[in-house]
Amino acid sequence: MSYRIAIDIGGTFTDGVIENAATGEIRLAKRLTTQADPGEALADVVDDLLAAVRHVNGSGSPSGAVTEVVHGSTLVTNALIERKGASTALIATAGTADIIDIGREVRYDLYDLDIQMPKPLVAREHRFELAERIAANGAVIAAPGQAAIDAVVEEIRRSGAQSVAVAFLHSCVNPENEIRVGEALKVAMPDIAISLSSRIAREIREYERTTTATANAFVQPIVAKYLNELSARLRQADIDAPLRIMVSSGGSTSAGIAAEVPITTLESGPAGGVLSAANAGRAAGFDDVLAFDMGGTTAKICTVVAGAPSVVHTFEAARVRRFKKGSGLPLLIASIDLIEIGAGGGSIARISDLGLLTVGPDSAAADPGPACYGRGGKGATVTDADLMLGYLNADFFLGGRMRLDTSASEAALQRLGDRLSLTPLEVAKGIFNVVNEAMAAAARVHIAEKAQDPRRFTMVATGGAGPVHAVEIAHKLRIPRVLFPIAAGAGSCLGFLAAPFRVDRSWSKPQGLETVDWQVIATTLADLKREAEQEINSALTSPADVVWQISVEMRYVGQGANLTVSFPWRSISPAFAAELDAAFRKAYEANYGGVLPAGSLEVVTWRIVGATRQDIKRFVWPTGEAASAARPKAHRAIFCTQADSMSDVPIYDRYALGSGTRLRGPLILEESESTVVVPVEADVEVLGDLSVLIHLGGE
Amino acid sequence: MIDPISLEILWTRLVSLVDEAAATLVRTSFSTIVRESNDYAVVLLDRDAQLLAQSSQSIPSFICTLPETVRHFLRQFPRDTLKPGDIMITNDPWLGTGHLPDISIAMPVFRDGILVGFAGSVAHSPDIGGRLRSPGNRDLYEEGLRIPPMKLIAAGTVNETLIEMIQSNVRIPDQVLGDLWAQVSANRMLGQRLLEMLDETECDLVAVGKEMHARSEFAMRSAIQALPEGDYEYEARVDGFIEPVTIRCRITVKGDALAVDYAGSSPQLPRAINVVPIYTFAYTAYALKCVLAPTVPNNDGSFRPITTTAPLGSILNPKFPAAVSARAMTGHLLPTAVMGALAKVIPDRVRAAAGSPLWCVQLAGAHEGRRFASTLFLNGGQGAGAKGDGLSALSFPSNLANTPIEVIESQAPIRIVRRALRRGTGGAGKTRGGDGQVFELDLLADEPVAMSFMADRLRTAAPGMLGGGPGATGRVLLNGAPIDPRETLVAAPGSRLTLETPGGGGFGPTSA
Repeated sequence: MSYRIAIDIGGTFTDGVIENAATGEIRLAKRLTTQADPGEALADVVDDLLAAVRHVNGSGSPSGAVTEVVHGSTLVTNALIERKGASTALIATAGTADIIDIGREVRYDLYDLDIQMPKPLVAREHRFELAERIAANGAVIAAPGQAAIDAVVEEIRRSGAQSVAVAFLHSCVNPENEIRVGEALKVAMPDIAISLSSRIAREIREYERTTTATANAFVQPIVAKYLNELSARLRQADIDAPLRIMVSSGGSTSAGIAAEVPITTLESGPAGGVLSAANAGRAAGFDDVLAFDMGGTTAKICTVVAGAPSVVHTFEAARVRRFKKGSGLPLLIASIDLIEIGAGGGSIARISDLGLLTVGPDSAAADPGPACYGRGGKGATVTDADLMLGYLNADFFLGGRMRLDTSASEAALQRLGDRLSLTPLEVAKGIFNVVNEAMAAAARVHIAEKAQDPRRFTMVATGGAGPVHAVEIAHKLRIPRVLFPIAAGAGSCLGFLAAPFRVDRSWSKPQGLETVDWQVIATTLADLKREAEQEINSALTSPADVVWQISVEMRYVGQGANLTVSFPWRSISPAFAAELDAAFRKAYEANYGGVLPAGSLEVVTWRIVGATRQDIKRFVWPTGEAASAARPKAHRAIFCTQADSMSDVPIYDRYALGSGTRLRGPLILEESESTVVVPVEADVEVLGDLSVLIHLGGE
Repeated sequence: MIDPISLEILWTRLVSLVDEAAATLVRTSFSTIVRESNDYAVVLLDRDAQLLAQSSQSIPSFICTLPETVRHFLRQFPRDTLKPGDIMITNDPWLGTGHLPDISIAMPVFRDGILVGFAGSVAHSPDIGGRLRSPGNRDLYEEGLRIPPMKLIAAGTVNETLIEMIQSNVRIPDQVLGDLWAQVSANRMLGQRLLEMLDETECDLVAVGKEMHARSEFAMRSAIQALPEGDYEYEARVDGFIEPVTIRCRITVKGDALAVDYAGSSPQLPRAINVVPIYTFAYTAYALKCVLAPTVPNNDGSFRPITTTAPLGSILNPKFPAAVSARAMTGHLLPTAVMGALAKVIPDRVRAAAGSPLWCVQLAGAHEGRRFASTLFLNGGQGAGAKGDGLSALSFPSNLANTPIEVIESQAPIRIVRRALRRGTGGAGKTRGGDGQVFELDLLADEPVAMSFMADRLRTAAPGMLGGGPGATGRVLLNGAPIDPRETLVAAPGSRLTLETPGGGGFGPTSA
């Protein structure tokens, strides 16, 4: 018997799941996150999980049977937001150390004259310049002299920096000057952490690459220390299994690599959530999924096509304004392409300057929370509206652990209603509709950017508020099906367990397709793959089937936006040019409806991705005996959107419904983590693994 | 009357349709300025050519130009003669956006044979023929191809004559036409999405438009009404051409209306820095929106309380065929003038002059027998305000990004030797102006390189506000010696060019 464990440390809760590798059976555990020492809650969750398994299987500690621990946390995200990282220095090409101040010179809000920009992670007095130069084609114009290197090393020593980023112009094409300086630093200061921009993000655009290297340097010492402590905690629990760390691209890596390039672990929690949704979709037979997660403060939306979440190669961290694109530090890391908007259960409704009802992006969060929490929140929130509309059960919120104050909601809604000449119920309907339209609008633009048709998707809804709003949003987007997976409370952890081991490498070398030197490409890609293979082999405990892929970012000469074409790994020869040409034109036509000027093509960035083969994980959640017949536990009036009125509908206990149960909406399914709201006529089906599928018709 | 909830929902929906079409336009565009700098707009108009919604990311110069352009189209092609499948086009500066590179197109949208609205778009074309963009141009005919209001597509049939004319008059026809077709498909997509939305909601677009306009107008009028009545004046100056360019601005606040008169500004010049009335309005309205009502949407309603005037023959209302291609060199001063005039009444909401207008250098030549051309933008410091220091090297009032050094060098025989802040060049004050930058490059081409510039405030500093000090002036040096950037010049191989952009003005007296 063997077990795998996943642990997700979030801002509020530390969640854990243990999986019986043979049967897929899972057990859950949850503790409050211990901010001062996150390892404490993690150790408690591990204990809880082991105890749960021991309880089922009888005597003997199962810790020896744990073969793998997969972990994700918000450590890097928080360190960047709170600016609590290591004292960091930067070595840049002579004349360019101010690049991180100058940035791209654009404003992220056209109408706000008082915007603030994110401050660079390296203070001016910790930036050093070195006379060296690589040309755009990779030729070494000037190698750094030994005396100059020694002088810079000495300055860094005097600065007291614990970590240093090295970022030279065109190091993405030829990293040799960076490598030379890196080696000199290592010899002179064996204890300092070193981040070479060509290792962290081998991509063109010096501001973004330098920022990525400084961000990596900024968090590296604290992540290395943290991972050491975690390993020690696991050993104390008698677990002698490799620790894997989730990365933002939707895979996992070894603790050793994560300690070296921690910036790639930035968005591990949300990535886990999307992987979980993708896996749940595949397990139910749907490969094209719109992952929709709605929590207390935000909603996250991501497209998954053919089982694979879309991945982008830029991410903005530590935004000055959370929902303003361009207000953060731009990082060149592979990350799952999800959009986040300020719409959650805690989002507050207001009357805008135009006298219209708007919702969010500001949130009452958990404290004081919505008015119905009774903790002093006065604003009417989405949760207050959901309660007023009958969707939430005041006596069964969080499975009855918290009582909601309906009269407080009504009073808050009344205050808004007085200004709009509307009843509290009308205001509640308005909030529900407005917030759903805002999420649908964001999803609509996101889907358009991906050139996808929403009618192909199945929405997979998670998060505390997601199942309450999903059916209405799907309806607005013309998405025909909505799936509610099991174990909503363990979302990201299931994604961690479903994640493949993954390694990403990139290399920017913009050039015309006709002028490519295929020998150089072949050699460089082979080198990158060898390096990536070493990384994977050093981390995998048993030989696994690794699938390799080459992706090429291309464009017409003169265009700025790239389109990516992907191929299974293959040997590179001049014949590849014709294949790239054909693949690009096909993708272009598919994306843009056949607007095909007779332009010539350019290749910009080469990428290699290696990932262990990703099988569908079929998790089994033992939830006790299901009732033989589906019988509602109650009836109550909810707002039915089609009928536009409050009507009595049946309320079911979700996990009392056995697989194969078929029901007809409108209805409500209650579970402790959330509430599935079906406010329209629709077929409701409980699948084999107890996930719930809603057919909205129109298929 | 539409209730405030349905209106919010319908309006959110309309904006998302426009943004969806804009996403397609940006991704398929060849124009660097469109995709890097958002120099485009996609709009949805009702059947009376009133603006319903505008793409969220568009830059200020397109505030409300497209509805005006569509009204011009309708004078040429009366409403009842329009057919499904028509697409109208123009780039006339006086009817469009103020210079030839911006091509505006509009498509009527029919539902069951009835006109329900217009989908419109404007985008900065990668080339429009004529002389390279230079402030030295003397009349419009030097500036390229002028397309009068025409049908690009008539009832589904492409106007091949026009296509051939465009093809034969621009330097990079594939890219220019590629962008034009990208605009066409964005418009068609918007039309299609609008019809789907109407099928679903059966809403009355004219009623939605009227209500949004009424509410926006009310919000803007309330903001104006909160200002004390009176006349407020300011005079902004830059180096200009033959002599300094002066913008005289007189703002009259009366009740809930606001009039801006530019009488007394410089006369129109035989140089390409003249600004047509619609662009004068756009940058004036932009500044007023920033300081008075930043959250109110751009539409016909919100701008109804605002008027701008300038006498015919003024640099802000030039007679045809004045040269206009570098209109930004003058237009970018308008926010400075407007905020200067309002500084005494709303000091906490305005900012001192920025190190604007935008700087630009164009380099063209050949290396190893291959031709190259580079257009590089750079910005000075932001003006200081009551709420804080100005930011350094920031685009204002436009929003144009710089080009990364690695991208510049991979496309042209140029080596950038320095991109750094000019520390201490922001004006002193209670809050400091933002610093300018120094951008220094070596020409590696084996042939001489032609250079043209937009570079102002070499003699006239960005002034401070309410006692703040001026920013430092800018400099343009060739091989270490100052040059006059107002005319095109040719540099020898191996030359070093140094551009030092101006600092922003300071705010308030230093000893506070």
